[in-house]
Amino acid sequence: MPTRVVITGLGVVSPIGIGVPQFWKAALEGRSGISAITSFDPFPLEGYRSRVAGRILEFSPNQYLPAGQGDRVDRYAQFALVAAKEALADAEFRMEREEPHRVGVIVGAGMGGMVMGEREITQLYEHKRPHRVHPNFIPVITLNSASGIVAMAYGAKGPNLTISTACSSSAHALGQAMNYIRAGTADAVIVVGADASITPLVFAGFCSLRALSTKYNDAPERASRPFDRGRDGFVMGEGAGALILESLAHAKKRKARMYAEVAGYAATSEAYHMVIPREDGVEVATTMRMALKDAGIPPAQVDYINAHATSTTVGDAVEVKAIRLLFKSRADKIAVSATKSLVGHTLGAAGSLAGIVSALTLDSGQIHPTLNLDDPDPACALAGLSTHTQTRKAKVALVNAFGFGSNNAAVVLKKITT
Amino acid sequence: MAKTTEVSDKIIQALADYLKRDAASIHTTHHLREDLGLDSMAVIEMLYRIEEVFNLQIPDQDLVGLTTVGQVIAYVQGRVAPPPASAKKPTAKRSTKGKKA
Repeated sequence: MPTRVVITGLGVVSPIGIGVPQFWKAALEGRSGISAITSFDPFPLEGYRSRVAGRILEFSPNQYLPAGQGDRVDRYAQFALVAAKEALADAEFRMEREEPHRVGVIVGAGMGGMVMGEREITQLYEHKRPHRVHPNFIPVITLNSASGIVAMAYGAKGPNLTISTACSSSAHALGQAMNYIRAGTADAVIVVGADASITPLVFAGFCSLRALSTKYNDAPERASRPFDRGRDGFVMGEGAGALILESLAHAKKRKARMYAEVAGYAATSEAYHMVIPREDGVEVATTMRMALKDAGIPPAQVDYINAHATSTTVGDAVEVKAIRLLFKSRADKIAVSATKSLVGHTLGAAGSLAGIVSALTLDSGQIHPTLNLDDPDPACALAGLSTHTQTRKAKVALVNAFGFGSNNAAVVLKKITT
Repeated sequence: MAKTTEVSDKIIQALADYLKRDAASIHTTHHLREDLGLDSMAVIEMLYRIEEVFNLQIPDQDLVGLTTVGQVIAYVQGRVAPPPASAKKPTAKRSTKGKKA
């Protein structure tokens, strides 16, 4: 039997709250974190087809971090630091009591340090002064800046990795962290998902890709509506989620509080198209099946799915098709929720937030509502979706995460039984 | 004011450039997906070129009505030379987009 892996600490930076208690309270109350973008100064707002996003307003890293710790990294890495700090404190994880080379950091990030990246590129092309490119530009935009700074902040000298698979990045971070601990390479891994790229260029890029919601610019809170007939694209969000994973034995030895067990994981490629999913849902169903097989759990035992559900027309329907393919008549007995209806699509942070929500669901027996499901699309009909908070003693949760590049991930969490 | 043939020629040429094929082989009855082999991403890329050629912004909601070469031509013609007020505007139904994201 492989080494069992458990989650002992959580941390969140999100558009509906910084800190797990704030986030979870807002999630259960069904509060939306989506607001209007009122300026992309100096760019004309009318050039952006979408003008809504799940932004974290008035974030000040110094409010949460030791002085200077977040000064030399980009916004997404600041989010990562804040989430990791909360998760470590929540786990009562004391690095001074650990063998540092057996504590890893794995970060999932889709876009990385785009705030400084865009600024420096703009200035170079505008002023044509290469000698004025900031000396910290390369360290900031290098995609492993968050995993590096988190390790440095806590002296975690084990495996230090960044996984960038677009919107599935941090689901893979969770799965790979589980594998490192299972393999005995690490006792604990700080898993983080983070992105903060609601920036003029990246946002314009997603607009041009016609991936974002554009119909609800005047009603931002209604824009992210997974599974609803009126959905018209995803809403960009930003944030970070952090989870402390450790072996069950290690957690027991520390007498740590445990939220859930990370029981299985699968990573696949559809090898199909850069941005379009296979419409038959077969590959998504296969990914979920493989993750459950890895966990040694039959599909019949799944009680809850945290759906990828980005609020795109095709993507949501494909996921439901896949759920029906795998779970057949039982599909309607599974509770389902779409966290992106609350916070938008936080890209690289999405998988970690889904993992956190699933861990809290297993721990508390409460399932957050899916917002804006006013007129359920028949192509996405699942009886387990609700606009209200559901109470269910779920024992097995499945986290779905799919990314550009034909990338799929599924992670299985299990209620703690020791 | 742009004439229909001018719009038509420019669009067919833009399509020919994008598809790397002879403009004469592209007909207004051609379906973008079935006949020309464009997937939804390729349609978006092609419309991006057309927006540049005609200095237009095509709202996402209008994409659903653009499935044949003829429909694209009629749509662009309507945008560059607005029809009389009584004429029917392009329908804005559900978006066709479905990114994996």
